[in-house]
Amino acid sequence: MASASTDAAKVIKVTTSDGIDITVDRQVAERSILIKNLLEDLGGESTDEPIPIPNVNEAVMKKVLEWCEHHKADPPASQDDDSDSRKKSTDIEEWDQKFMQVDQEMLFEIILAANYLDIKALLDVGCKTVANMIKGKSPDEIRKTFNIQNDFTPEEEDQIRRENEWAEDR
Amino acid sequence: MAGPLNNGNPAQFAPPPYLQAFRPASSMSANKFDEGYSEDTRSQSGSEMALRPDARLGEGMALDQDVQFPLPDWIMSLSEGERSDFAYAILRSLRTSSIAGIVEKLNPLLHLDPMIHLPPEITFQICSYLNPETLLRASTLSRRWRTRVLDSPLWKLLFRLEGWNSNFPQVRAFEELERAKQAERKERKTRSRGAEDLEYEKPSTKKRLRERTLFGDGPSSDKNIHAKMEPLSLTGPKDGPPNWSEQHGAVEADESPATRREEAIKSEDRMEGIAYHDIPSSPESSRQGGKAAESSNDSSALTTPNLVDPPVRPTLLLTNTMEPRINWQYLYKHKKRLEDNWNAGRFSNFQLPHPMHPAEAHTECVYTIQYSGKFLVSGSRDWTIRIWNLETQRLIHPVLAGHKASVLCLQFDERPSQDIVISGGSDCSVILWRFSTGKIIKILEKAHAESVLNLRFDDQYLVTCSKDKTIKVWNRKEIMPTDDTYPSSTTKSSARFPSYIIDMQHYVETQHIHFQPLQPYTHLMTLEGHNAAVNAIQILDGQIVSASGDRSVKVWNVRTGACLRTFSGHSKGIACVQFDGRRIVSGSSDETVRIFDRATGAEVACLQGHGNLVRTVQAQFGDLPGNEEELEAEARAVDRNFFEARRKGLVSTELTREQRRARNAGSRDPNALFAFGAKLPPGGGGSKWARIVSGSYDETVIIWKRGPDGAWEKSKILYQNEAVRAAGGRPHRPVERRAHGNHANNAQNNDAQQPQQQGGHAATPLNFQALAQQAQVQAQAAQTLAHQAQALHAASQTMQQGNAAATTNSTAAAAAAAAAAPQNANAANPQPHAANQGQAAAAPHHHHHHGPHHHHHPLAGPLNGQGTNSRVFKLQFDARRIICCSQDPTIVGWDFANGDQDIIAASQFFSDSV
Repeated sequence: MASASTDAAKVIKVTTSDGIDITVDRQVAERSILIKNLLEDLGGESTDEPIPIPNVNEAVMKKVLEWCEHHKADPPASQDDDSDSRKKSTDIEEWDQKFMQVDQEMLFEIILAANYLDIKALLDVGCKTVANMIKGKSPDEIRKTFNIQNDFTPEEEDQIRRENEWAEDR
Repeated sequence: MAGPLNNGNPAQFAPPPYLQAFRPASSMSANKFDEGYSEDTRSQSGSEMALRPDARLGEGMALDQDVQFPLPDWIMSLSEGERSDFAYAILRSLRTSSIAGIVEKLNPLLHLDPMIHLPPEITFQICSYLNPETLLRASTLSRRWRTRVLDSPLWKLLFRLEGWNSNFPQVRAFEELERAKQAERKERKTRSRGAEDLEYEKPSTKKRLRERTLFGDGPSSDKNIHAKMEPLSLTGPKDGPPNWSEQHGAVEADESPATRREEAIKSEDRMEGIAYHDIPSSPESSRQGGKAAESSNDSSALTTPNLVDPPVRPTLLLTNTMEPRINWQYLYKHKKRLEDNWNAGRFSNFQLPHPMHPAEAHTECVYTIQYSGKFLVSGSRDWTIRIWNLETQRLIHPVLAGHKASVLCLQFDERPSQDIVISGGSDCSVILWRFSTGKIIKILEKAHAESVLNLRFDDQYLVTCSKDKTIKVWNRKEIMPTDDTYPSSTTKSSARFPSYIIDMQHYVETQHIHFQPLQPYTHLMTLEGHNAAVNAIQILDGQIVSASGDRSVKVWNVRTGACLRTFSGHSKGIACVQFDGRRIVSGSSDETVRIFDRATGAEVACLQGHGNLVRTVQAQFGDLPGNEEELEAEARAVDRNFFEARRKGLVSTELTREQRRARNAGSRDPNALFAFGAKLPPGGGGSKWARIVSGSYDETVIIWKRGPDGAWEKSKILYQNEAVRAAGGRPHRPVERRAHGNHANNAQNNDAQQPQQQGGHAATPLNFQALAQQAQVQAQAAQTLAHQAQALHAASQTMQQGNAAATTNSTAAAAAAAAAAPQNANAANPQPHAANQGQAAAAPHHHHHHGPHHHHHPLAGPLNGQGTNSRVFKLQFDARRIICCSQDPTIVGWDFANGDQDIIAASQFFSDSV
């Protein structure tokens, strides 16, 4: 991490929910639209002041910044409303896949942090990762994966299963 | 990792951490989403948990002891790393069996339920990556999953992602209507109920949500209660389904249902809310069930409360919202079932006229139809136009009489703002009718020098095309020369402008000239360029697409009249065309349907399968919004494959271009490829639901679908006469009416097949089955007769050939005369095959006739129904139906809802296809 002595405009500080200050390249931090907008609102003056990020703790913040660092050169996300209505692929690039190989708690926290910090690409990767954990599994396998308590009676489950037959390709 | 608080360790999410050492999951959620809440919330939930260890969701009972074991403060004041080392040290001091026991207890903690720990907007996104099958599987996991996964907006997105179109105005109108009904019901209720509702409608959703959470046992408690209650109240699951499906009524629940809550959170709480821990609790839903029943007159629901929420079977209206809302999962389900019916060929038939009212039928063949919503308008060789109500199969007006010859083309717009039918005919006129009254608004006499073969209109323009080889453009609204829609000449334009059309460029300097506005339906320009009759026309986004007997399709700029591009590829005249902005789909006398890329002119598919002129075609590609780039990328990938294959010598170079073209119906196989550089992939792109329906003089309607390799394949072949029989009517030989005088000399060849023509009209058949069988026998007899007649007919026609063009029908003899034409008939001899075929609807039948096509006079074609079936003149399909008109005066339809009430109910929200 760059020290405070380098060009002040290029480095900022964030304070995590657990009170830890992290110094980070401004370019990296600005992958977060939340931080980017904050910095813009500040007009680049008081960048010495750490930006409080009350919803993200240090461990998660470091992980998120690791992702931002790797993706700092990515083109900015297109603000395209159409993107929602396009066919969605769950393909994840290799580095991101590795990055997401964390325990479920950390995975969910990264997703929540990406949502809060407004890092769309990271949120996408996180959601795709969870989606891929659901894909191609039997109900029991999914229940095991996420420790889901089945609160349906066998009769209800059976009814639902029969109802769902319409979706099978005939 | 040194923070004293909240440093990423789940154990430290909540302030009294010692109580939570073994609860990463719940503490994470309870605290994390609590951010911004008062301290009370935290301590409360913390102490609650301490007292009620069973409140924890997702942990085995075995945890009770652990949870109740208080950790001393000094341990909790250690850092994460220290505690970790400490815990490890303790574990290492244990026997292996104890360690195994602990590992087993801890294991579930490593697996967290995203539906508990992530807010709805995020699980929505996760779900949006899953396909419907997976989502439905997920709906069986737990009640919470079911609620999230069957979220109506999610299914709305899935519906769109399939490339299916929906009719949003209809959805809104329906919801509005239901809302009004609901309000009316409420009005009638006693005051006490009203007060209850009022209370609920106060903007206190958020507060209530918090209360629930605060005074409950934390996020998971309701679920536990739920799990306990549910077997008790599950009274009648076996006879459930009929009741679920009947619960269409609005629900007035005291408790905010899950979806409602989620919405509230979405808008207000996002990160901080706990409340999206949606709890589809059974007491609530059973109460809902009761009330739903009360308001929907469904008494059976009272006895079998619906415990699964959303209900096992999706209902048209959501059961868990205050306001009536369309349930998109219901629409998705029944759209899918409808598509399955198309693919499996499951349909019911209907006909116009209603079999009980045969007198309403056209008296001769029907050249053109259009339908929209519940109305269908038809134009016939009997000179009339009829407007039908598709629901009742009855005419809504007396016949619209005004044309002085066959009605060949029409378009209508029933919306009150438009309220118009425009028709064109063999009398060279165009007539404007008021849809709602059936009265003539205006007649454009002699709009063309010859028959008006087709017309289309949009908001601004009416375009007409004619056998006279020209296209004309007319304004629909009063326009000033300064308007954007006013014609503007360019050097590229070969259009002829009437003298009253002024060139604005000349008037740029003259400031104060007084311009006269052009009255509606003024002739704006004439487009010349086709060398034969212009058989079909389309207008879309300022572009006119015309198809001609000269074998070409042209695209024109409607404002300047400039011809933008000419598409060639068909080897004979073109009879019909459809344009969706990207693709031009055309049907030709060369018996093929071809698809051209509008952007590059490349032919991307050629569909072979008809045995005669393709007279009518409609295509629906099911594009996803904004998929141009994807189509282009797909096209480039196919190109790369092709060149790669060619480099490797995998593509045969022996094949002529013609051969390759002839083979490709949209396959991506490099060997089948012939068009590259297109912006569309082979076949034209679109979703897997893409569909083309074509109708031909070979007397069949073909439904085309994409095969596994992307090539278009025949999916189903439909016959008009079978449809008529199935619809309760009886197929007719095309009827000859001599009333119009100009058909007089057709008598000789019509008598042969007249026997059973009009009988059906006279005596209303009551026993349709029996009559249908009878008709079949008659048809066979007639066919035999007809074959004999044909021979005679051919001989007699040879004699008459001289004046055939003027008044007689054409025949095999005429065809023979024209036999040489197709080979050299282009610029030099542009007599269009398709054009003539197109109008001379009543040409004699030639089964499996592949020779050159006949030339007919449009006014004089006789009706020789020698086949068992009828030539198809025009068809249209929407999500649910194909309707077609033919030589038979009866209009027939195939309804793929196949009588299914759910599909019918859902279909009103599926949008009409292009």
